Amino acid sequence: MDASVELDRVVMRFGDFTAIEETSLAIASGEFFSFLGPSGCGKTTLLNIVSGFLTPSAGEVRIGGEAMAGVSVNRRPTAMIFQNLALFPLMTVFENIEFGLEVRGIDRKTRRATSERLLALVALEGSGPKKVTELSGGQKQRVAIARALAVEPRVLLLDEPLSALDLKLRQHMRVELKAIQRKTGITFIYITHDQGEALNMSDRVAVMSAGHLQQVADPMTLYRSPQTGFVAAFVGENNRLEAKVIDQDGERVRLDGGALGELSGRGTAPTPLANGAAAALYVRPEHLRPVAPGQGLEATIEALHFEGAWLMLETRLAASGEKLRVQLGHELSRQHLEALQPGRRAHFGFDPEDAVVLADAGGPALDEATGEVVEGAHV
Amino acid sequence: MFRQLRARFGGPLAAAILALLGIWLIVMVTLPQLQMIDYSLRPNLLPAQLGGPEDNWTLANYVTLFNNEIHRAIFFKTLWSSVLVTLLTLMVSYPLAYYLAKLASPRQAALCILLLIIPFWINEILRTYSWFIILAFRGPLNEVLMMLGLIDRPIRFLSGDAGVMVGMVYAYILFMVFPIYNVIESLDDNQVRAARDLGAGTLRTHRRIIIPHAKPGIATGCIMTFMLAAGSYAVPALLGSPGSRWFTQIIYNWFFEGGNWNQGAAYAFLLLILCIGFMSLVMKVFKVGLGDIAK
Repeated sequence: MDASVELDRVVMRFGDFTAIEETSLAIASGEFFSFLGPSGCGKTTLLNIVSGFLTPSAGEVRIGGEAMAGVSVNRRPTAMIFQNLALFPLMTVFENIEFGLEVRGIDRKTRRATSERLLALVALEGSGPKKVTELSGGQKQRVAIARALAVEPRVLLLDEPLSALDLKLRQHMRVELKAIQRKTGITFIYITHDQGEALNMSDRVAVMSAGHLQQVADPMTLYRSPQTGFVAAFVGENNRLEAKVIDQDGERVRLDGGALGELSGRGTAPTPLANGAAAALYVRPEHLRPVAPGQGLEATIEALHFEGAWLMLETRLAASGEKLRVQLGHELSRQHLEALQPGRRAHFGFDPEDAVVLADAGGPALDEATGEVVEGAHV
Repeated sequence: MFRQLRARFGGPLAAAILALLGIWLIVMVTLPQLQMIDYSLRPNLLPAQLGGPEDNWTLANYVTLFNNEIHRAIFFKTLWSSVLVTLLTLMVSYPLAYYLAKLASPRQAALCILLLIIPFWINEILRTYSWFIILAFRGPLNEVLMMLGLIDRPIRFLSGDAGVMVGMVYAYILFMVFPIYNVIESLDDNQVRAARDLGAGTLRTHRRIIIPHAKPGIATGCIMTFMLAAGSYAVPALLGSPGSRWFTQIIYNWFFEGGNWNQGAAYAFLLLILCIGFMSLVMKVFKVGLGDIAK
């Protein structure tokens, strides 16, 4: 069974507004694929194009190699799990799960056998005769999954299905979703603005911003080697230091950090950086660690936040006045706690292998103060 | 209730409000009804005989209906025709209500609702007369149909029940559209999308998802339309033919032409019982309570 999904130069316009810029993408059969992006980036639009609720303005969607143009929602080999689940409140759990089978004219006995099997898969045995309104949030979630799986879709589309659950349940459902995906071998296309979900479950993640695919990669690559400033800022947390390129040798880029002196990191973009070009060095808070005076970057500690498993320091660089966030694990924070009080000065260093250098060429970026995406002013 | 009113308006005003309410309920609603029940249970006597030995309570006025073949036929015809009017109104209103609630853009919906409401600014008699003109033997509808070559000679729309049906469906459509519109509008769009996504076609989506959700609204609309149709006087009087008399016309005749208020009151209560019976039946069939309908 070929459950691959291909987007071939898909464009979506609403009047003058382009919701999806020309996008091509191939999702492999049986892959757990996520679209990650802030709200309004076009990820839900893309999902609606695959499910057939929207017809793209240009381009083509293929599922299992078959073109989907002219194939209506109710005839596509896809099933959707809605953000609000959209269970049918007037029906029982059984009736909900069996709805798609009833539509297909499958007899009562086979229907019941299928729904029993699916209830077992989502660990809800015995809940069939209940009304959906009697179920808890997590149970409703499972019924929604069972209902979608009942029609044996080749592709399951999930529109932020976990966003309504509390943290513990959400983490638990992540594991279950992943397990169900492995068991069934169905292609999962998952929409989320929660990077934890995307990184945790996905085989590959596409980061989207303003109707545009920023980067498509496996979670580790995405985290380790972001290729655009947006991805560097949106996925995980990053400190951004402005600098000028001195030279690039293979992956290694040497930078002139101005008052910060010489810096270096990995150039992750496909095209090498030009000598002298404006660039930004991204180093994650957890990759910084205290070093002896005279080494690394000198900074004043402004605030200290205890987060349980780690300690987050808000500091300001002595040389440039830029902000630098430093995250210290249990071990390091215990060793250095005395020296790390607000008002004190400290030195922080990082391994150039852990720092990423990208051309500082505008594009949408994340506003650090509000967490919202802003279009780059300098291109 | 008094305590709440007093807390808000003070003692004297609260007492006045309650007194007015009491007077209204007792003098304007309860007493006249009791008086009518009393009328309906007494024989029609000359003034001189009132209070005499013949002035006793009797069910004779109610029994009249079952002994008078013509009245009985009209009674059941009114019942049947009102059911038909209700069904026709439902058939016209449901698609309209669905369109207004889910398909139309806000502008289209506003325009459509305005177009539906404007005719109701005109008096019911005038509206019914306009249908009388449209449906007349040499009226515009026949002219248009002849011009289009659909018919060779004019049709007598106003003989038989067709005119009454058209007039009533038109007169009561709002009472059906709005309750259904209200419930359909409250349906989550994702319910419909989910049904489509699971493979359901349009018909099944309506049958399994939208209509079950709209049931309280459909029941409300049906009850209101039936009550109005069964109790209608103007439409059958203007658009009906001699062969399509309505039970309300018989009641009217007892009161104002026969001068027999006792008989008229009994007939009026029989019509009321019919309406209550229909309402209970609809509520039972649709499995909705009074609370759902009051919404």
